[in-house]
Amino acid sequence: MREAIAAVFIIMGLIVFLLSIFGIFRFKYVLNRIHAAALGDTLGLASIVVGLMILDMNFFAGAKLFLIILFFWMSGPIATHSIAKVEVLTNKSYEERVREK
Amino acid sequence: MEEKKKLWKHIKAWVDGEEVILDADKYIITRSKKVKKDWRRQFSVETIKGNTKLYGFLSVAISALFIGIMLSVVNDLPEFGNPSNPVDNEVMERYLESGIEETGAVNFVAGMILDYRAFDTFAEANVLFLAVMSVVLLLKKDKQNYSEKEERENREDDFFDENEKRPILKIGGKILAPLIILYGIYVVLNGHLSPGGGFSGGTIIGAGLILYASAYGQKKMQTFFTFRTFTLICVGGLLTYCACKSYSFFTGANHVGFEIPKGIPGNILSAGFILPLNICVGLIVACTMYGFYALFTKGDI
Repeated sequence: MREAIAAVFIIMGLIVFLLSIFGIFRFKYVLNRIHAAALGDTLGLASIVVGLMILDMNFFAGAKLFLIILFFWMSGPIATHSIAKVEVLTNKSYEERVREK
Repeated sequence: MEEKKKLWKHIKAWVDGEEVILDADKYIITRSKKVKKDWRRQFSVETIKGNTKLYGFLSVAISALFIGIMLSVVNDLPEFGNPSNPVDNEVMERYLESGIEETGAVNFVAGMILDYRAFDTFAEANVLFLAVMSVVLLLKKDKQNYSEKEERENREDDFFDENEKRPILKIGGKILAPLIILYGIYVVLNGHLSPGGGFSGGTIIGAGLILYASAYGQKKMQTFFTFRTFTLICVGGLLTYCACKSYSFFTGANHVGFEIPKGIPGNILSAGFILPLNICVGLIVACTMYGFYALFTKGDI
């Protein structure tokens, strides 16, 4: 039973990663691609790690895995935000590109 | 008779301390100008173009000679993948059997790279040092290579950094950078007990420094990390490494007789010189990482 729940979580995370990779190659503009890439870094990673936590059921291993989630949920969106900020600040034709694509 | 007189006069003058040249006029005529060989002209493009056949033959011959030497050496090497090779049994067995006993490190890789092959790691640290020094040589800004346009752009960047209304990156850097640096220090200090060591831990510390610098700007970074501290840490780390390992090599390369206490394998203070060497390598790598970032973005540390 436990393994089944863990497998569901891990497969969900893999599907999210698949979608995000698909999005990175599908979209053409930076901001759209950032949107797709951030999906895998947050939701996909979190569901895979939750699946591993359920699979292991050890308190200290679970705490370490939780720290991984915490780190990625802090650093990933911040990195995404700063990349998007640089794009908006430096790309002069940014409004045209947003409307086109 | 006259010649003798002349010679006597000459010797007298020489004793008195004067410099007399016999037959000065003759000497000046016969003295030919020294022909200075101009090596640059001898190997210039024109002469090489003129002697294409000779140089082509020489280049082929020299390359063939070196290829022959290398092939003959390769021919003498043991066959690749042969299970009876010394690499596949003796060295590995020796490391695994007496590694803990000889180096005191639980982590075999640390024992290998910082004890058995410490000289190789020293050269690797030197490579990093040379790389960052050549970047300093090329990109460090001074009056000669720094135009007003670049200065204006730099000032604009600083203005944008200072007048940032959304403090997302700053708050993130404030929370994450100390944790990342702390984790890097843990990896460096635990290098002889768990996977990790100077190179990986130093890289993590460097990443933390880069995060802090990108969140708070160069000026805030320079309150505790200037070019002076950078050079001091780099050179000090290399010299400490050199001194530590010279001790081993002077005492017979096997710590014979003057053994450093190994401690109990598994303790944090054990494994002889591996812990200080790990710290040296970690400091050098961290400084190199941050130095590359700072020099490539702002041209100053």
